[in-house]
Amino acid sequence: MNMKLISIVASVMLGLAGCGGSSGGGGNNEPPPPPPVPITQAEAFQFLNQATLGATEAEAQRLISMRYEAWIDDQLQKPASLQLPFLQAVPPPQFMFQLQDDRVDIWFRNALQGDDQLRQRVAFALSEIMVVSQLGVLGDQPYALASYYDLLVQNAFGNYRDLIEAVTLHPAMGAYLSMLGNEKPDPVRNIRPDENYARELMQLFAIGLVELNQDGTVRLGTDNEPIPTYDQAIIEGFAHVFTGWTYAGSPVFQGAFPTELRQITPMELWPAFHDTGPKRLLNNVTLQAGQSGEQDLSDALDNVFNHPNVGPFIAIRLIQRLVTSNPSPEYVSRVAAVFNDNGSGVRGDLGAVVKAILLDSEADPDLRLATDGKVKEPIIRITQLWKAYNAASASGRYPYNFAYIIFGQGPLQSPSVFNFFSPFYAPPGEIRDAGLVAPELEIATEFLNTYVTNYMFIQTFGWNHTAIPGTTEGVNEDTVLIDFAEEEAIAADADALIDMVAGKLLAGEISTTLRAEIEGMLALIPQDQGLLRAAETIYLIASSPEFAYQR
Amino acid sequence: MRNAMKKLNRRDFLKRSSAAAAVFAATPGVTYAQVIGGGAPFDDYKALVCVFMFGGNDSFNMVVPNTLAEYNAYAQSRQNLAVAKEDLLPINPVSSAPGSEPFGLHPAMTSLQQMFETGTASIVANVGPLIEPTTKDQFFNQSVALPPQLFSHNDQQDQWLSLRGKTPSKTGWAGRMADLIRSNVAGQQMATNASLFGSSTFQAADETVAYVMGPGGPQQFEGFTPEQRAAFLRIVDADYDSIYERGFAAVQRRAIDAADTVTAAINSPEAQAVSTIFPQGQLGTQLQTVARLIASRDQLQMQRQIFFVATGGFDSHDNQNADQPGLLANISESIAAFHAATVEIGVDTSVTTFTQSDFGRTLTSNGDGTDHAWGGNQIVAGGAVNGRDIYGNFPELQIGGPDDVGGGRMIPTTSADQFAATLAKWFGIPDVDLDIVAPHIDNFMQRDLGFMV
Repeated sequence: MNMKLISIVASVMLGLAGCGGSSGGGGNNEPPPPPPVPITQAEAFQFLNQATLGATEAEAQRLISMRYEAWIDDQLQKPASLQLPFLQAVPPPQFMFQLQDDRVDIWFRNALQGDDQLRQRVAFALSEIMVVSQLGVLGDQPYALASYYDLLVQNAFGNYRDLIEAVTLHPAMGAYLSMLGNEKPDPVRNIRPDENYARELMQLFAIGLVELNQDGTVRLGTDNEPIPTYDQAIIEGFAHVFTGWTYAGSPVFQGAFPTELRQITPMELWPAFHDTGPKRLLNNVTLQAGQSGEQDLSDALDNVFNHPNVGPFIAIRLIQRLVTSNPSPEYVSRVAAVFNDNGSGVRGDLGAVVKAILLDSEADPDLRLATDGKVKEPIIRITQLWKAYNAASASGRYPYNFAYIIFGQGPLQSPSVFNFFSPFYAPPGEIRDAGLVAPELEIATEFLNTYVTNYMFIQTFGWNHTAIPGTTEGVNEDTVLIDFAEEEAIAADADALIDMVAGKLLAGEISTTLRAEIEGMLALIPQDQGLLRAAETIYLIASSPEFAYQR
Repeated sequence: MRNAMKKLNRRDFLKRSSAAAAVFAATPGVTYAQVIGGGAPFDDYKALVCVFMFGGNDSFNMVVPNTLAEYNAYAQSRQNLAVAKEDLLPINPVSSAPGSEPFGLHPAMTSLQQMFETGTASIVANVGPLIEPTTKDQFFNQSVALPPQLFSHNDQQDQWLSLRGKTPSKTGWAGRMADLIRSNVAGQQMATNASLFGSSTFQAADETVAYVMGPGGPQQFEGFTPEQRAAFLRIVDADYDSIYERGFAAVQRRAIDAADTVTAAINSPEAQAVSTIFPQGQLGTQLQTVARLIASRDQLQMQRQIFFVATGGFDSHDNQNADQPGLLANISESIAAFHAATVEIGVDTSVTTFTQSDFGRTLTSNGDGTDHAWGGNQIVAGGAVNGRDIYGNFPELQIGGPDDVGGGRMIPTTSADQFAATLAKWFGIPDVDLDIVAPHIDNFMQRDLGFMV
């Protein structure tokens, strides 16, 4: 990243700042690059807060020694930490919904302990694009959700075409967006195919509502209006494509009980329920009549996959989840170009896309503008705090199935297919006035911010390394406790204490105001009260606007 | 190094912000030259309560034609999803012949039937987002302007909540009302707009900010000693470089400001004295909290309030026959309980409740459910409603009929702008400002649908 930075500085000095041409491999005539500047601890933490669910000292050291690209390449090869095997090892509870506790538990375990940190972060981003949720019909199908999440984890660096096929045929998605059991038209009963999955696949998972340029800006037609990507006839075409699929091994086309095996096995086709007429698709393509259901599905997904919107659409969404709410058109274009061709002629290589997103000069925290970066998602504030402070329960479990209530967010716990927040959300005030967005602020309401702030209070003052399950009030063996004994030991020295916490949570960059206010509060707490002094410091930093901001 | 970057940042910022604006089309500022009544305080109290049914309520099963020919057309269209004629709860609009019972409500809505028949509720028929009056021919030959992305959930929710039509505006019609009256309600201790269901476009505004609380009210901050609170406030008020820090800090500031006053209001004797029993569940809890806040309106010096409450689960692509009765019963019971509470508080003629939803649903079935459509029926309730009537034109529920654009998607015969303007006028928005609240109202003959006194 520093090499990129240097090349940009050079281009600015040459008066080329406006042309956005700082990307790319460089020509043959350029002098050899200077030796790399060492990555600082702060830079390492900032990078890891984009690429993982929370920076740690150990990972920062690894990154510093490997450097960015090698670290990413290493992460791309890490095997996936999965959920389903964990869930299947748990004795089935009396009520299936209780197993959601274990599903959330393994999400946190993988988030906090998995070696595949980049994969887990990208999978979480994908789970906010191709949304299914525990809230609704899947509430008592924990195996389906775990299996679906594993699909995202396993395909996080794979090809997008494979990903949407796996998503389309997964029974969790089938049940959530009602493609499962969708039957061909029956004019006698006035029945036509269900349009739910057809619509959301295009709107939310792949291309969006209006045609985009490669840089993500909206294309305008001759009437100066945006150009819709599809119309009702195309929706109906795809709805007809997605007929005939139901649970694998089901004795009936509709109404089968979702057994554990059915929850985790790709849907299968019942040809008698598949419409065999012609089907209108995108870009003036019409599928000919008489094709098999499998062929229709494959052709239709190819049709979506090859739409020029997919590159910028996925680029914007992944950049927003990992790096910044408001990427420049140049940034989007660079990443979309990698989606369109990974350099080896392959379209849809998500690993290459992720790498391009993280190595882009615009992802470099040293080049921060007031509009760069993003508000952290609340659950990522929690995982960052927990990773920084080795959070664990006595039982080893993280059964935070209520995450969506207290944090406003949890794994596969969105209130609808539209995710926890909209990629277009712009809060009133300067952000909206500037035509910018801040998606995460949609759930940073007065109510939820207070909830999370209060959680930080309880976590620091109550649920810490001194709490003893069963004897400390409100603490049981499943309560997640953070460990700040290290801070407690040096807490008499306010400056050292603040430096230590700021190092772990703010990449060492603490504002003078926040430092002064913490010092003021510490002055009220006797020096021998190490636990309280450390808790106060962590609480004020963890609930501060600075910690809520990802640089 | 970092200092050396500052110049680049500034130059880049100009370029980048204009580029970003092109991506996420900026909102044109609305100017409010008009100050209503010279900014004088209102001499009365009024509240609007929006009950949003997320997912798209299949409201052609909520209100059903009950005369033989019309019922048969309905049943023919709906097939296995039709409510049986003998199960309908008959209603007698004032405009119909006594005893003719030309319509019926869904059998799960006994409380709404009672409110309708006793004159405290009405129905607005086949209402939805429009830019101008639209016929089927005009729809197909594209000779009228249409709201963008018809039949899509979030876009049609957005249309109902914002009434923005084809403009890129990001404000909602409740937000614009709050902006218009902001001088008149300067003494209020709480924002005019309050949501109990997260932040909503409905209440987004240019000049005022909605307050978001939980279903049971605000959260109090744990461990806030006076010193802690003061330090916290200085931290959120600090001068931050990033728009994201500033955006986050602004929410924290509002949360701290409101938590004490609003919680005190909800816990006040007047609020706790409200004894009406509300249905269990999210919607009932939200409406109970609204009732408590209304009961303590004097303590907060409130004169105008707009509440946003909501419930989900209406996207009945599947299992509609199994799910719909519970959903509609909850709406009916919750609205009735809330109305009873306003009677108990003595404000029933000052509080008006209305429903909105993404869209109506296809008359045709996809097997065991319905898909996204357009026009639908909405409920208006309260002592200021001209009750026991059906406003607007109830469409012919016939596949391929004059209002069907395919599969039983009804073109709205009344616009959401007309619906909003009627409520806004009652709320105290002068006629000249109705086009700020409902930007397309001038395209429609009837500015006032007549359902408010």
